Amino acid sequence: MRKPWHKSNAELFAKTKQEIETNYPELRVAVENDTVFLRGSFTIEENGEILDRYLIEIQFPDDYAESIPILREVGGRIPWTADRHVSNNPLQGEACVIVPEEWLLRPDKDSIRSFLSGPVRNFFIGQSLVERGKPWPFGERDHGFKGLYQAYGELIGVSDPETIRRYLDLLSRDPIKKRALCPCGNGKRLRDCHLELVLRLQKKIPPSIAHRAFGRLCSGSQR
Amino acid sequence: METNEYLRAVLAAQQLKDDSAELKELQSERAKVEEIIRKKFGSVPTIRYGGSKAKGDLIKESYDLDLICYFPFDSNAGGETLENIYRNVRDCVSATYYVDEKTSALRLKSNDLKEYMRDFHIDVIPGRFTDDKKGDCFIYQKSAEKCRLKTNLDVHISHIKNSGVLDALCLLKLWKIRRVIKLKNFVFELIVVDLLRGKKSSSLADQLTHVWTKLKDSSEPIAVEDPANPAGNDLSPYVKAAWSELSGAAAATLTSIENSGWENIFGTVSKTSTAPSIERMQRAAAAVISPNKPWCPNA
Repeated sequence: MRKPWHKSNAELFAKTKQEIETNYPELRVAVENDTVFLRGSFTIEENGEILDRYLIEIQFPDDYAESIPILREVGGRIPWTADRHVSNNPLQGEACVIVPEEWLLRPDKDSIRSFLSGPVRNFFIGQSLVERGKPWPFGERDHGFKGLYQAYGELIGVSDPETIRRYLDLLSRDPIKKRALCPCGNGKRLRDCHLELVLRLQKKIPPSIAHRAFGRLCSGSQR
Repeated sequence: METNEYLRAVLAAQQLKDDSAELKELQSERAKVEEIIRKKFGSVPTIRYGGSKAKGDLIKESYDLDLICYFPFDSNAGGETLENIYRNVRDCVSATYYVDEKTSALRLKSNDLKEYMRDFHIDVIPGRFTDDKKGDCFIYQKSAEKCRLKTNLDVHISHIKNSGVLDALCLLKLWKIRRVIKLKNFVFELIVVDLLRGKKSSSLADQLTHVWTKLKDSSEPIAVEDPANPAGNDLSPYVKAAWSELSGAAAATLTSIENSGWENIFGTVSKTSTAPSIERMQRAAAAVISPNKPWCPNA
């Protein structure tokens, strides 16, 4: 059986705890049945001023930091509705702060501080505004698969869902064969078509992430 | 600002006035719940209000209301057994609310699709009086070793209300809430009141430091007695389950005070007391360097 991440990667666990202790005194790390949680009060601060606060729980996945941490608001303040970007079924109140692959492509994906000060803070700034009748400050993805296609499409630079799938399928392969059909769909070989673009994308989107994204689109399970 | 002055300011910022939107909503929801229960069970059950408002340790960030629904000792109107009473009251309110079944309480949340799971901060506690004096009562304990617990609302309210340490209790509850420590509030209150016995005249800072030091230094979970049933109720499983969290958080808090001061624990007062304005939040949004869009898997 695979060791839980906090045991197999003690260095990352120590770094995670250190980042919390130094930057978030109202959050604390707890390990329960080999699952690592982060619980406490998350404050939205601006220029040293606390604008709002939320009670949160973050659950670290077993394969952290290869998967995105799971955020839940536990104060009962945010409804579990798609419009508030909180999943009600079957995900038990998971906040969907960002399309997971968008986060996993970040070079600082293994920094809990970056996660908290980035997508988590952005999410709660949005919640505080939406609660007061304002729109999402940074926009929002469509729900379900449409939102995934938007995110992956922006990464790849195309918008047609079939083309996005073909690109992700190709980028999942390691190595990529130049005589494969080009994912743009015009019937040419890759070497005679969008090879340069694919090589550029390969640097941006590693095969493991492309594979996850492609799998998410194919499996019917979006989580 | 001197420490005790600072702590008083934190307390002041946590006050919830009777005409506040939160309490008004709570009162209106409470009336709705009572109506639903009365419609089903008529005038048979005694319905009373407990919780932090009655005990005097209500704070803005934790303003739960307990609505007790106790049936007479000789009546089966709510059900034959305590478990039946619990289930029947649950079924009665679950037509209108999403009901989160706690050990003894039924936590009411919204089941409206637009507000799904928003917490109303109301716990309904079904039970049955032990006799016609309508003081002591048995409540059902779901998934606990003993399936019933003897309790007394008045004894609990008076134990806390007259503890002489309400200010420290409010601050420690705030500390516990903000650290999401999973320990029943009433058990935590009993621990604090017990630890502060003989410390009533100490300053707030000394009281808080004393409690955290005791929690940090005690190698075993602190034994706590339920004043409503001193010999009969074993609260140790609750304390035991939360002990490492509680003790660890207390140790971290003391270290944090030593290294960075009290404001690291409760925040900067002048900056936490004002309601977040839309403009300030919009300014914070405008300053974000790496924005991202939320998503939801539910189509």
